Amino acid sequence: MSQGPPASIEAVRGAGLSKGYGEGDRRVQVLAGLDISVQLGEMLAVVGPSGVGKSTLLHLLGLLDRPDAGTLELFGTDVGSLSAAGRARWRNRRTGFVFQFHALLPEFTLEENVAMPMLIGGSPMREALAAARELLGAVGLEPRRDHFPDQLSGGEQQRGAVARALVAGPELLLADEPTGNLDAANAESVFEVLRRLHVSRGLTSVIVTHNEALAGRCDRILRLVGAASGDACSRT
Amino acid sequence: MGRPSVTVLRLLVGRYLLGLRRRTHVAAVSAVSFTAMALGAAALVVTLALLAGFQSTIRQQLAVSGVHAVLRAKVGSTLPPGDWLERLRERHGELHVRSIASGAVWCVSEGGAVPAVLAVVDTLSGVEVNRVLAARLGAGVGAEVTLATPRATLTPLGPMPLRRRVAVDRVAEARPGEDRAEVRVPLALGAALLGGAAVETVELRASDPSRAFSVASDVQTELPDGVEVISFRELNRPLLAALALERVMIGFGVALVMAVAALNLLCNLALLAAEKRADVALLGALGLEPHSVRRLFLILGIGVGALGGVIGTVIGGLTAVVLDVTRALPLPRGVFVVSHVPFRVTAGAIAVVLGVSLGAALLASLAPARAAARRDVLQGLRYE
Ligand SMILES: Nc1ncnc2c1ncn2[C@@H]1O[C@H](COP(=O)(O)OP(=O)(O)O)[C@@H](O)[C@H]1O
Ligand SMILES: [Mg+2]
Repeated sequence: MSQGPPASIEAVRGAGLSKGYGEGDRRVQVLAGLDISVQLGEMLAVVGPSGVGKSTLLHLLGLLDRPDAGTLELFGTDVGSLSAAGRARWRNRRTGFVFQFHALLPEFTLEENVAMPMLIGGSPMREALAAARELLGAVGLEPRRDHFPDQLSGGEQQRGAVARALVAGPELLLADEPTGNLDAANAESVFEVLRRLHVSRGLTSVIVTHNEALAGRCDRILRLVGAASGDACSRT
Repeated sequence: MGRPSVTVLRLLVGRYLLGLRRRTHVAAVSAVSFTAMALGAAALVVTLALLAGFQSTIRQQLAVSGVHAVLRAKVGSTLPPGDWLERLRERHGELHVRSIASGAVWCVSEGGAVPAVLAVVDTLSGVEVNRVLAARLGAGVGAEVTLATPRATLTPLGPMPLRRRVAVDRVAEARPGEDRAEVRVPLALGAALLGGAAVETVELRASDPSRAFSVASDVQTELPDGVEVISFRELNRPLLAALALERVMIGFGVALVMAVAALNLLCNLALLAAEKRADVALLGALGLEPHSVRRLFLILGIGVGALGGVIGTVIGGLTAVVLDVTRALPLPRGVFVVSHVPFRVTAGAIAVVLGVSLGAALLASLAPARAAARRDVLQGLRYE
């Protein structure tokens, strides 16, 4: 299900992004000169075989890693020039990340988990918990806010992770196989939440997924097929 | 964000330290480290209190039974003449002054002849022998003893040693460590035996044993030229130094318990950092900066260590006080001067133990905290 015409403003503009690991003979070039562009308000699905570099790309966009070469502009800012502290602040305030594993921290209640980015950002406890409750309401988990992660189903945990990703009010949502560990019903509920919040919060989203059906419901699909630049093709 | 958020650190520390609900593993780990630190601190406090208790008992014993200061000539063996000694006696009424001259003497009784030191003590009224001499002579109070000095008198039979027959009036307890035979006689008898009354030494003793350490400085300014005073501290220097050394060495030995506890803390922190690696990486991905991670583990380590140290110190201190007050550990009578094992908790010892536990906790936390902060966020996220 594709949406209307993409917005005209570029939220993400990556040019010539390269990333490799290892040295010498064991060098693996994962991304080689990848260009990527995501429009403001667009929901982009990234698909491709395992090991092709989907997570690597997401880590670059999420400022968890630096490219070996290439430039990255997010919302008009050249993020390549940010200091380590600036990158941490950017991750905290301007990016929401949903991981496949490590959804929630086991020692903390759902509410505390969701509040964590705001607490890390220096918000007072009361304020952070209030924001967390609001988002838990938005993902339908408000009644479970005092539960610990091991009292929640996989789908509930992942919906909690979506709430956490959005609590600090970021513009960019990055999700790395958010439904990868879930059965069809739970995958559907998580994606539904992602999709709804993407629209209601005016987000720009990049979703890595193996699920072709879910990818098809995004605005656009980016297919990564190999390390050579230009192998990435897209479909509207 | 700027400065690290205190709120988030408080939340993380609280939860990792105390654990909550089913997540008891971390809490159990910190409980083990906490207990180890507490045991180490308690052991150190009790040991230091025991040593301090014994030492103060020994010092007291020395002060009660021994001489507090000695006056002697700076040059030569006899003190200068004059009435300064009389004046000293008058001015310090509470001082017991014993002036002593001495020489060698043979003591002859039915049991045989025994060489002894002849001490002339001007405060004595009768003849006193110490236990050592009494034992060697086989003579007790009332026994007749002949004292013979090397000084000769000419008799019709040629030169003969000077001799006096006396009765023993008192047998004095030997002081700790005293092993030479000694007979003490009043001034007149001594003068006759030694042929003069030159005073060699004056022993001072305060009635109040707690003044033992200050007697020397009290009389210092009233001494004539050529007389020096040897203080209680100097008189007992070897013993006091041995006691101090003993305290340091045993304290050091027991402090090794703290070192072991600190190593346990280090291991557990490293374990915690490894176990929480993915979680810490996630926090890093959410924007927690490395210096906050470092601070988190430092607070965890120092928190466990310092809390253990404080609780252990309190437990150790209370144990020592209770053992002392209730006289719970009796000692065989006659062997020791005290009837029970004495404990003395001093502020200095408490400060040392608290300092050692805090320092040990800090040292134990530095490396794991640094390692946790340096860990790469991405690697941590891949760590499944
Ligand atoms: N830290 C790393 N060290 C070495 N190789 C890595 C590292 N991270 C990723 N890779 C390799 O890079 C390739 C792409 O990984 P990834 O981006 O996770 O793929 P995807 O998410 O598409 O499955 C894989 O072959 C992976 O083994
Ligand atoms: Mg991946």
